[in-house]
Amino acid sequence: MATNSIKLLAPDVHRNLAELVAKRLGLKLTNCKLKRDPSGEVSFSIGESVRDQDIFIVTQIGSGDVNDRVLELLIMINASKTASARRISAIIPNFPYARQDRKDKSRAPITAKLMADMLTTAGCDHVITMDLHASQIQGFFDVPVDNLYAEPSVVRYIKENINFKEAIIISPDAGGAKRAAALADRLDLNFALIHKERARANEVSRMVLVGDVSDKICIIVDDMADTCGTLAKAAEVLLENKAKSVIAIVTHGILSGKAIENINNSKLDRVVCTNTVPFEDKMLKCPKLDAIDISSVLAEAIRRLHNGESISYLFKNYPL
Amino acid sequence: MRKCKVFVGNSHPELGHLVCERLGIEAAPCTLKKFANGETSVQIGASVRDEDVYVIQSGSPEINDHIMELLILVSACRGGSAKKITAVLPQFPYSKQCKMKKHRGAITARMLANLLIMAGADHVVSMDLHASQMQGFFTKPVDNLYGGPSLGKWIKENVEDYRGAVVVSKNPGGTKRVTALADSLKINFAMIHTDRRRSKDLYSQNKDKLQLKQRKQSMLRKNKPIIKPGDFENEEENIILTNGIQTARVIKGHVVDDEYVDDTNPIESDVEGSIGTIGSFDAVDSEDDEEFDVQPEKLITLVGNVQGRTAIILDDMIDRPGSFISASEHMVKNCGAKEVVVVATHGIFTGDCLEQLEKSDDIHKIVVTNTYPISKERINNSKKLVVIDVSSIFAECIRRDHYGESISVLFDSLASL
Repeated sequence: MATNSIKLLAPDVHRNLAELVAKRLGLKLTNCKLKRDPSGEVSFSIGESVRDQDIFIVTQIGSGDVNDRVLELLIMINASKTASARRISAIIPNFPYARQDRKDKSRAPITAKLMADMLTTAGCDHVITMDLHASQIQGFFDVPVDNLYAEPSVVRYIKENINFKEAIIISPDAGGAKRAAALADRLDLNFALIHKERARANEVSRMVLVGDVSDKICIIVDDMADTCGTLAKAAEVLLENKAKSVIAIVTHGILSGKAIENINNSKLDRVVCTNTVPFEDKMLKCPKLDAIDISSVLAEAIRRLHNGESISYLFKNYPL
Repeated sequence: MRKCKVFVGNSHPELGHLVCERLGIEAAPCTLKKFANGETSVQIGASVRDEDVYVIQSGSPEINDHIMELLILVSACRGGSAKKITAVLPQFPYSKQCKMKKHRGAITARMLANLLIMAGADHVVSMDLHASQMQGFFTKPVDNLYGGPSLGKWIKENVEDYRGAVVVSKNPGGTKRVTALADSLKINFAMIHTDRRRSKDLYSQNKDKLQLKQRKQSMLRKNKPIIKPGDFENEEENIILTNGIQTARVIKGHVVDDEYVDDTNPIESDVEGSIGTIGSFDAVDSEDDEEFDVQPEKLITLVGNVQGRTAIILDDMIDRPGSFISASEHMVKNCGAKEVVVVATHGIFTGDCLEQLEKSDDIHKIVVTNTYPISKERINNSKKLVVIDVSSIFAECIRRDHYGESISVLFDSLASL
């Protein structure tokens, strides 16, 4: 039997994460070409044989041309499939459309499910993602999904960069309470909760803090930050309640729309995102942004997946 | 209703017949029996050709038999050329297994969804799915009805001074459900968090004598049944507000005070936590697994204020009693709650759960809907249990679905009918 090896593929835009992963694994990215017609259609070709190889496609899908990125990914998967790859794994750290995961309003589409179906139909055999908005999305797929956690990386960042003995973990909404509680447990810290209250009939929504934050460094944790309006407001509420300083740590820093403006004008000390989403250009515009590199987690997951080892170690530990 | 048949499964005939009554029709005749070897046999006693078929089957203690029965019934209708088959599952079985709890765990709820679709269901109706994302497990449309409005209506009508009450989530995972109800009732909410790891650290911190003394004093005061009105009460209020968080120890599912020393179970149980459950917040799920046997000592924290108010613990189901009991003990004994009402959509009451809740002095009422069968005997024996009838919601849903009308009104305004 022919030995099969890892082939890393990446689209031509947002290659940074793929390159970091490749470096970690000591490999080169497979030579491939993505061409765009003037009409906007994408054509893709792989520059070397992938017959019977273990394909990993590393993508970074952020804000902006989400649909283009998705279609490129699907085309890449399909191209690998027709080129007789043995197995195709899509690495989508920030799963697009993850917020449309249920019928929250009547007649609303469940686009996350559609995404899952599209990936499977294109020929994807395995999906690796990180901090899914709802872990039930794992069940939307007909193929195995490994949902990695950014938590170990975040814990490491906090321990190295923040005087965490004086810190308290904050959840910016009720839905994220569980995530915050888990992180607080990991770090042996207390946690508090911010809720947008609509307690009284005529009152405009205001933010209510549940818990004591006085003289503490507040670490707001969430899985996703989009326009950062909520984060900025939360920071104000925390400082009004005598917090010492406020730091936000989010896994997926989508940072679309007015996000940079909002962060720059806010009272947040720092906003830390992982590099699941490309935001290098935004870091130049905003000195408050900081990044956590999670390429080592992905690289280790790829290595373990390829060698048929258990991935669950990575759920709790940061790979060296 | 023309060209419509409603079949009622064996899991919860009372609810099924209530729905039929509401619809003004007879349940379609069918024989559901078991062969001697345990296989289920289904015979449909009326033509279903080109008809709109509804099959009502809920969860039950003999869950697997009833799932099989449902699947066979659906498939029999499919074989009998029914035009459209709708499976009505008031309580969706296996809904707790809707994500990978442990590594290599099965997502059984999704498997059940696949089975239903394979058997031939065209539409699924359920109520308060454990996670609303479960709708995405199906390739066919799903209508997830809400029990919240019915429960909210009960609270408005039966809880004295409900405006002063507080809705409490007994774990961080359920906070969203709780805030939704709190918002619709326009009242406050609080949250309870139980954790395992910190017990030792926090208690060694608290050995600071002054702190311990203060804590003890505040606890003693809270324990007093009657608080005199006047400045004393104000002082009390201040303590709660500035702290915001109240912590106590839970040993074997019961709240104990600071000096309590458990001889049989030494506190050093931290090690097994790290071996037994490797995983992050989703893998080790404090929400659903009550591991009192494994973790004898835990730390319970209330975030929010329930002093002198009625606390309403809300969840989607009452399955096992442990966390409800410790939460209500903590709120009544340590945090000064006036009374505790436990409210949930699905009253599953595994084993002697209902009896244990009944025994707890700190729980004053248990309110559930009739989505899940509870035996008459149990209802009659319980003085605290209140069962709300939601058959009208399902009947209305079936009627609207049959006539092709919009169901969305059932989600809010009409749902409390």
